[in-house]
Amino acid sequence: MTTATWRDAVRWGALGGLIVVFIATIGMAESFDARKVIDPFLSLGYLSLLWVPMALGYRVSHRVVLEGTAPTPPGARDIALGAITGTVVAVILCGYILLIDAYNLREVLVNVTPTLGHYLTKGVGLPGGLAFVLGVGVALGAAGGALHLVPGRPRSLGLRVVLWILVIGLVELLFGSILREMGLKRIDSFLFNLDRTIPWYSAVAIGLAVVVPSVLLRGRAQAVRARFNTMPASGRRRVGFALAAAAVAFGMIVPVNFGPLLNEVLATVGLFMLMGLGLNIVVGYAGLLDLGYVAFFAVGAYSAAILTSSAAPMFTPELAFFAAVPFVILIAALAGLVVGTPVIRMRGDYLAIVTLAFGEIARLVFQADWLKEAFGGAQGIRVDPARIRTMFGYVLAGVGLIALIIGLLRWWAARSLARERGDLDSRSAAGAVVAVLGAAALAIGLAFPSFATWTARGIDTEQIFRFVLVFVAIAAFVSWRLESSRVGRAWMALREDEHVAEAMGINVVTAKLTAFVTGAVLAAFGGALFAIKIGTIYPSSFRIVQSIIILVIVIVGGMGSLRGVALGALVLIGVLGGPTQPGLLREFEGYKLLIYGVLLIAMMLKRPEGLLPAARRTRELHQEEFLQDAWIKAKADEMAEGA
Amino acid sequence: MMADRTPLMQFRNVDTHYGPVHVLKDVSLEIYSGEIVCLLGGNASGKTTTLKTVLGMVIPSGGDILLDGEVITTWSTSERVRRGLSMVPENRRLFKRMTVKENLEIGAFLREDREELAADMERIFDLFPRVKERLNQKAGTLSGGEQQMVAVGRAMMARPKVLLMDEPSMGLAPVLVAQNFEIIQQINAAGTTVFVVEQNANMALSIADRGYVLQTGSIVLSDTAQNLLVNPEMRAAYLGEVE
Repeated sequence: MTTATWRDAVRWGALGGLIVVFIATIGMAESFDARKVIDPFLSLGYLSLLWVPMALGYRVSHRVVLEGTAPTPPGARDIALGAITGTVVAVILCGYILLIDAYNLREVLVNVTPTLGHYLTKGVGLPGGLAFVLGVGVALGAAGGALHLVPGRPRSLGLRVVLWILVIGLVELLFGSILREMGLKRIDSFLFNLDRTIPWYSAVAIGLAVVVPSVLLRGRAQAVRARFNTMPASGRRRVGFALAAAAVAFGMIVPVNFGPLLNEVLATVGLFMLMGLGLNIVVGYAGLLDLGYVAFFAVGAYSAAILTSSAAPMFTPELAFFAAVPFVILIAALAGLVVGTPVIRMRGDYLAIVTLAFGEIARLVFQADWLKEAFGGAQGIRVDPARIRTMFGYVLAGVGLIALIIGLLRWWAARSLARERGDLDSRSAAGAVVAVLGAAALAIGLAFPSFATWTARGIDTEQIFRFVLVFVAIAAFVSWRLESSRVGRAWMALREDEHVAEAMGINVVTAKLTAFVTGAVLAAFGGALFAIKIGTIYPSSFRIVQSIIILVIVIVGGMGSLRGVALGALVLIGVLGGPTQPGLLREFEGYKLLIYGVLLIAMMLKRPEGLLPAARRTRELHQEEFLQDAWIKAKADEMAEGA
Repeated sequence: MMADRTPLMQFRNVDTHYGPVHVLKDVSLEIYSGEIVCLLGGNASGKTTTLKTVLGMVIPSGGDILLDGEVITTWSTSERVRRGLSMVPENRRLFKRMTVKENLEIGAFLREDREELAADMERIFDLFPRVKERLNQKAGTLSGGEQQMVAVGRAMMARPKVLLMDEPSMGLAPVLVAQNFEIIQQINAAGTTVFVVEQNANMALSIADRGYVLQTGSIVLSDTAQNLLVNPEMRAAYLGEVE
C-alpha cells in the first residue's frame, strides 16, 4: 500500500501541464470554443482544458486497494495533493502563455495565434490573467482531490449528472432530432437555445431528471442486474438474444424518421459495425491480426458496383442488388482464399505486416491505370440507383428456400440419430418446424413476388439505414452462432496455442482460412452496402485508415465480444464519425485520428479487454492481477495462521 | 519376445530432414499393444522430431510409419489423431485461458461419437478426481501437477490407441515427476499403449517395458527396460555413472 506524496502531485501536475499545453498548441481549445456546452458558462473549448487539473487532482491520491488491505481514509491530505497538482498544471500553462506572448511561434506552430494567449486567460489580459489561471488551476485541482471525501453513492450520482449534461450538450443533434420527430418540440426548445446550446436552467433540469429517478428507484437496477447475473448461462444468452432481436425490430418497425443527418450517421455506424463484426471473427475469435481488412471491403464494393451498375466500364450484367449479393459473397470468399492461402503460415507480426501490404495492394490494383478498363481507375464506378430496387417477395422466397434446406437437413440428421437410439428427440421436431416454415415462406414469396417493392437510393438515408440494420443483424447472428460452434472452438484453441491445436488434430490451415473467408464475406457485405449508400465508389475510399479504424472499434469495444463491437462502433463512429464520414460531433473532425489514437493507447493501458469484454478476455487479461491478489491473500492468511 | 505379433505402431527405416539437416537417421522401432515403450536421448538427439514425425507434423524423407499394420506416412495430422494417436506435449501446454472442461473438449475435437464424450470424461474423473473439482476453472490457474492431469486427460479424450508423451518429467518437481509416472502406469493398466520420450532415463525405465536409446538421430541401443537399466554402456552414457 503506497500513499501519494507531494512528489506524485508534482509529477501528475507536470503531466497535466503537458496535456493542457498540447491541447492548446494543436488548436483544439480555440476551435472548440464556438460550441457552448452550457450557455453561458462553459464552452467545449474551455472544457477541453478544464478537465485536466480536476481529473489529475482526483487521480493523484488514487488508492490501489489490494485484496486484504484497507485503504487510508480520505482527508484533507487528498485536497492538498489535488491543489498541488492543479497548481503545477496552472504554472506550466502560465509559462506557456508568457512564452507565446514573448515570442512569435506561429511560423512553426500554426495554431499558436496572437489570440490564443488572450483566450487562455479568458480575456483578462496578461498580468491579471496569470493569477486567474493559477486560481482556477488550484481550485479545480483541490476540487478534484476533494472528490475523494464525497461518499461513493453521491459521487457516482454526481458523475452521472455531469456525464448526461455533457452527452446531451455534445450530441444535441441526436436528442434534438429525436425529440422533434416524436412531436416533443416544446421539450426541445426548453432544452436547447436557438443556437443549439444548453442554457444553464436546462442543465439543472437534466441534473434533476437524472438524480430524482435514481434516488426513487434506488437498488432496483442493481436487483435486476443481480438477477440477470445469477441466471444460468443459457438463460442469460436467451435474454441477450431477445434484447438484441427487440432492438433490431424496433429499428425496423418504429416509423420514426430521425432526420437525414442522423440517418446518415446511423447508417455509417451500421456499416462499421458490420465490418467490426467481421474483423472480430478474424482477430477476436481466431487471433489473426489482419491489418488489410479494407481489401475485402473494397472487393465487396467493387463487385457490387460492377454487377449492378450500367456505368461499369467493361462488364455490365446489370443485376438487381439482391441478385448480385450471392455473387458478391462468392467473390469475397474467393478473395479471402486468395489472400489467406499464402499468408496463413505466418503468425503475429509477420501476418500483420503482410496483410497490411495486401490492403494497400488491393487499393492500388483498383486505382491502376492499366486496369482502368475494368475498375475505372481513379474515377471509380458510379452505382446505378435503379438497380437497387428489390422485390421483397423474392427475398422472402430466397430466405424460405434456405430455411427449407436447413430444416430438412436438421430433421434428417436428428431422425437418423434418433433411429439409432430408438427415441425421437426435440431436435428433429425443431428441424421439421423450420422446414415447414421455410416451405411456407417460399410459397408465399413465389406467389406474390412484388408484395413489397423497395427502392433504395443513396439519398434515401432512412431506407439505407434500415437495410444496413438487417445485414448487421445477420452478421451478429452468424457471429453468435459461430462462437459456440465447433469451428469457434477450433479458433479459440488456435488463438491460444497453434502447435498444440495442430497436435490435437485441428486442421490449422482450414480453421484459419475459414476465419479469413467468413471475415472477408462480412466485409464484402459492408462494401456492397457502402456502394449503394454512397452512389459512386473510387479507390481512395479504401485507404489503410479504414482497416485501422475497424480494428480500433474491435479493440476499444472488446475483442471477441459482440456487444463490445456494437458499442465500439456506436461510440467511435457515431460520435466521432468514420474516416471520411461525419459523426455527431463535427467539431472533432480534424482531431478524429488523434482521438482514435489516444483512445487506443488509453484502452491498451487501462482496459485491454475493451469496454464490454467477452467474459473470456477478462479472464485472460487480468489473470496476472488475479493471481497476484490471490497470492497476497494466501500469504496474508498464512501469516494470520502463524500468528 | 513379441516378434510374432503385428506392432501397433512401427517406424520402418525412417529418415527425417529439416532442410539439409539430417535429423533422424534410419530409425526403426516397434510398439506393441499394451506396452509402455520409452525413447531415451539427450538434448538434440532427435526425440521431439521423432514425435513430430509420428504425428505427421513433419513428413519423413524416407521410410514408413505404420499404425496397426497400415502405412500412415503421408496421412495428415488430423487423420492420425482420428485413427488413434494423441499427444501430451512437452511442458503440458494447456490452453491456459480456457477452462479445464474446454481443454478436455478440444481433446475430443475430432470425435464424432459426441454421445460418449460424457462417459469418457467420467472415466478421466475416475482417474483424476482433482480434475473434476477444477472443471470450470481456467487451466492456467491450476498447479503444475493438476495441469499435468488435465494434459493427460485432454489427450485421453481422443481415445488414443497409442498415447504419446513428450518429456513428462520436464519442468516438474521430483514429487510431481513420480506422480506423473504413476499416472502413466495407471493409464497403461487401463489399456492404453504409451510411448514416452524422455531424458530422465532412470525414471522412464523404471516403468517402461522396453526402451530405445537415440543418439544424434540414430537408435544406438534397444532392449527391455530391465536390461537397459543394468547395461553398463547405458549407465555410463545416460545415468551419469562413470566407472
